[in-house]
Amino acid sequence: MSTSLPKSFTALEPLAGAWGLPTQDARQTKRRSSSTAELQEFYDAIVPLLPDILSHVDEFPLGELPPDSLRLYYMSLALAEIAPHIELYRGDPNVPHSFEEERFIAVNGQQPG
Amino acid sequence: MTESSQHRWAEKYPELGQGPIAVESCISEDYYLREVEKIFKTSWLYVAREEEVAEPGSYKVKRLAFADTSVIVMRGKDGVVRGFHNICSHRGNTLVTETGEETFGHSKAAILSCRFHGWVYGADGALIQVPEEERFYSCFKKKENSLEAIHTEVWAGFVFINLAAEPGQNLHDFLGDYGTHMGDYPYADLSHSYKYHTTLDCNWKIAHDSFAEAYHVTTIHAGSFPNVFSTGLSDVQLFGPHRTCAVCLNMSAEPKPVAALAQKHGRGSLVAKGGSAMLPPTINPSGREDFAFELSVAFPNLFVHISEGIWFTHQFWPLSTGRTLWEGKYYVRAPRTNSERWALEHAQLLQRNAWLEDTQTMENTHRAIASGAKKFMNLQDEEILIRHAYHVIEQRMNAAEQRREQI
Repeated sequence: MSTSLPKSFTALEPLAGAWGLPTQDARQTKRRSSSTAELQEFYDAIVPLLPDILSHVDEFPLGELPPDSLRLYYMSLALAEIAPHIELYRGDPNVPHSFEEERFIAVNGQQPG
Repeated sequence: MTESSQHRWAEKYPELGQGPIAVESCISEDYYLREVEKIFKTSWLYVAREEEVAEPGSYKVKRLAFADTSVIVMRGKDGVVRGFHNICSHRGNTLVTETGEETFGHSKAAILSCRFHGWVYGADGALIQVPEEERFYSCFKKKENSLEAIHTEVWAGFVFINLAAEPGQNLHDFLGDYGTHMGDYPYADLSHSYKYHTTLDCNWKIAHDSFAEAYHVTTIHAGSFPNVFSTGLSDVQLFGPHRTCAVCLNMSAEPKPVAALAQKHGRGSLVAKGGSAMLPPTINPSGREDFAFELSVAFPNLFVHISEGIWFTHQFWPLSTGRTLWEGKYYVRAPRTNSERWALEHAQLLQRNAWLEDTQTMENTHRAIASGAKKFMNLQDEEILIRHAYHVIEQRMNAAEQRREQI
């Protein structure tokens, strides 16, 4: 996997190692093991760039992102994972009042993408 | 909207009564065994989508734990989808080695070969090859040792099986007006799926009930769907043992920044208002502007929900009196761009979280009911689908047992 990001997004580099994760299961695990402050830091850093990220990834056909862009895309999918926790759950890294997440099996959770 | 009665559904369906419902049926071992025999082993049950066995030679094996069997659903070279018990005629090994609740495979030649001793069957179930056949005795006939067929029929791309030796009705008649109501929707066109499952320590009906009303949305979904859905139902209709209604949007909530961007880039969330281009003319007969999705139940254990660009199912498989396999499957149109793919991911994760909220109460409810401290549950008018479910189960089991007594 790439260890860099496309040029316009190098500001996100300090967060890319932690959040540029290729599977839904990995992003979910990362969210659940993060603190509220870590979720907020990631959210605050990436949300202003999100419209540009979505424009950037659409310069490539679906599923044909070059390695740097793919790493950036994984970060945006990690944002999809954590956004409800900032926008709806007051920063709680878990879904409040929920069933045990580790017992809830995502059939495709280990597939990259 | 004009002021409607607070008891409109009871007035529409007075035969269901208004009294409390006994909870004994959720914890009684005897009642569970009767349900398995009189309902699950005689009803049409959804086990696969046609797209899952799209090509000749494609097959899916699904476990049916309540009946201690698994069904192989396979498409032949003639295009027909057939069902068989997953057991080899030789010494009873599973013909297809299963890897979990659902196992998928494909055979280019459209055959199945048992890995124990290499017996080979066609997609029509016929035993076509037995290694060292000459060493079996003259009483052994290949044509008498086909796979055990299971009645299999298809409605709107949903493959159903029926374990009865002779089902009382074909699938079309079993679904009846429900099939007409829900059939004309482009299920196959929305093939991008997200699937979840878990095993719950609760009776299957408790799991069913938790999804069969919108009364819970203000409390249970205060996190994921704040001020999103109305608690009352719209256009409740009962079709024999099946049932349906519409759930409507509250539309007072403004999406937050990331949610708003997701809604802009793709239709994947029930939270946003959708159009009605895909919906059959039978849906939303009141023409409500705030229509969100149709919530329907095909008796006994399948929920089918449809909305513009989104459909999803819940299914509840009884494993024992107090254990249930729940499966949630969410379908949207395959994304065409990376940004749309991102938007669908956001929508689906929020839906997953809502399901995590839904499943939270089920085990607690079962455990509390099992205490025996309360003998009844109390249902309000907007919980009419739950009342109907208990009514139908009781009615069907009694009818089956009366028929048996007459014989």
